[in-house]
Amino acid sequence: MSPQTQSASATYSNVFVPRPAEIVRAHQVTEMEKHFTLKMKDGQPMVFEPGQMLEVSVFGFGEIPIGYASSPTRTQTFDIVVRKVGRVSGAITALERGQTLYVRGPLGHGFPMDKLRGQDILIVAGGIGLCPTRSLILYILDRRSEFKKFTLFFGVKTPKEQLFLEDLAEWRKSAAVEYYETVDRADESWKGNVGVITTLFKKVAVNPNTRVIVCGPPVMYKFVIAELDSIGVSRSHIYLDLERRMKCGIGKCGHCQMNDKYVCLDGPVFCFKDIEKLEEAFR
Amino acid sequence: MNTNSYFLKEADFDSFVEGLMKTAAVYAPVAKKNWFVFAPISSPKEVRLDHDLTILPPKKVIFPVRQDLVAFTPEGATSSIKPEPRILFGVHFYDLKAIDMLDLLFRENNVDWNYLAQRENTTIVGSNIQKVSRRAFWASVGKGVKPHAHDAFLTKLPTGYVFEVVTPKGEKLLACGQFKAATEAQVSEARRINEEILNNCPEKLSHSSAEIADKVRAAFKSKLWDELSLTCFSCGTCNIVCPTCYCFDVQDNWNLDQVSGQRGRAWDGCLLEDFAKVSLGAGACENFREHRGQRYRHRLMRKAAYLNEKLGGPACVGCGRCSSQCVPDIADPVRIIETIMEN
Repeated sequence: MSPQTQSASATYSNVFVPRPAEIVRAHQVTEMEKHFTLKMKDGQPMVFEPGQMLEVSVFGFGEIPIGYASSPTRTQTFDIVVRKVGRVSGAITALERGQTLYVRGPLGHGFPMDKLRGQDILIVAGGIGLCPTRSLILYILDRRSEFKKFTLFFGVKTPKEQLFLEDLAEWRKSAAVEYYETVDRADESWKGNVGVITTLFKKVAVNPNTRVIVCGPPVMYKFVIAELDSIGVSRSHIYLDLERRMKCGIGKCGHCQMNDKYVCLDGPVFCFKDIEKLEEAFR
Repeated sequence: MNTNSYFLKEADFDSFVEGLMKTAAVYAPVAKKNWFVFAPISSPKEVRLDHDLTILPPKKVIFPVRQDLVAFTPEGATSSIKPEPRILFGVHFYDLKAIDMLDLLFRENNVDWNYLAQRENTTIVGSNIQKVSRRAFWASVGKGVKPHAHDAFLTKLPTGYVFEVVTPKGEKLLACGQFKAATEAQVSEARRINEEILNNCPEKLSHSSAEIADKVRAAFKSKLWDELSLTCFSCGTCNIVCPTCYCFDVQDNWNLDQVSGQRGRAWDGCLLEDFAKVSLGAGACENFREHRGQRYRHRLMRKAAYLNEKLGGPACVGCGRCSSQCVPDIADPVRIIETIMEN
């Protein structure tokens, strides 16, 4: 091996090298979800767009793709929410304040902010679909004058699966957002709407010219889209935040492909018009 | 007289290969039981330029089956990119085309130096096809796409080899052997050999790449995918042996100390059942390609349609490895495509 080649190894940048982030706040939100506030250890602000994501890892366990759950308008720290479902998410959710997570990001394409500004906005979030959309919700609330009417639908299976309880309490009272919530199945504590998320469309008149953001479990999209179609919302005004198995996060490993798109690269946010003919986009 | 073409006598072949071995590790086709494989050689006698097809494509020399990406310790992570000078020797033109595709795909969007660093440090010597494998169809697939991955190309003549130099990296190899300038007759004989072999493929696609791409894409909802994949084991062999497949899994492995280790990647395959499966929590999961017909379709879409615009042709080079290594023999792109074209 020539000396030149040996020294060259240090000069190749490596997209897989993650950066350390300190957990400055860790809060168990529900039985399964934990909310982390992170600060990059190198002191650099995390610069991202709402809807983008990052690969979050614990060494020895692996990496998982997670959407930013905070607004980029708040630059010193950023938030993620991790649901404990497997080996990696189990290792992440076992961590506490003061410990270190490793991150790679921002990755992918987020919400098209230039197309949302100056418009009526409706966000439809199901379950932990509220986590990546919270990035956009907080962004809109921080820059409220840049947007017109702002409506938020949030649905979960049961009341105890509600996330960001402090945020929800604030949004219920806030004049800045028209907030509607529902649960599929109520318990004795629940006084609000009962039914799947599409039942919230009966509560409010949605202007057909609204820009709509949808994020939730795979089964939710086609029902929400059917509602939006009947209202007359243009398919080019609907944005979907999709979930897939994004293993590498850089459009190489193949796991997140739907037809010819890489969700981690071309998404995770897609304009519905661009993917409505992709057979693998919807269940 | 072609100034880029040289002649190597048969008697000087072994000393040329020995010369190459002094400059870098040489990976060449060698015999393994009743097959051939690309492997690092320790003697020129091992080299089998008369191979018909190797079990795995030569991509493994650049994109290994398992590769460390990052080394980690409690203090942080460091890059594991450590290319070594390699000579990849005796590559048929269809495999060269596949390497061209991987070069593009690993370079586009997010540049992946975990592949490209070894690629830059690999000198590739192509060679003509002396024996045709029994399921080859390289003559009729992506005909407009010419190979560019090689630095030099060897063509076997009765008394020796025409050695065509293509790049400066290829030119450097001249110092390793006893080359003479090739005569015009030798150069035209080499050209004739490389043209005539194209008439000898046992299998053949009867439509153009563009026609195939359109018809295959339009057949997405056809029942054929389920019918053709009825006997699929979801074993992923067709992915693993494919020179243009490059999907991988990323996994962490501890060292014995349980605090340091490696994050690495390993070849993966979209035919495997859990390839597109995600967990939703509470034991629930979502498999975005749950049925084998969906996975079987995805592979052929990737080969015949999805990447064509990007690559300038199909992501299949007609090597016939999937055809000959699929146990139930349902992976042959020619049979699948011809069936779709007839329907």
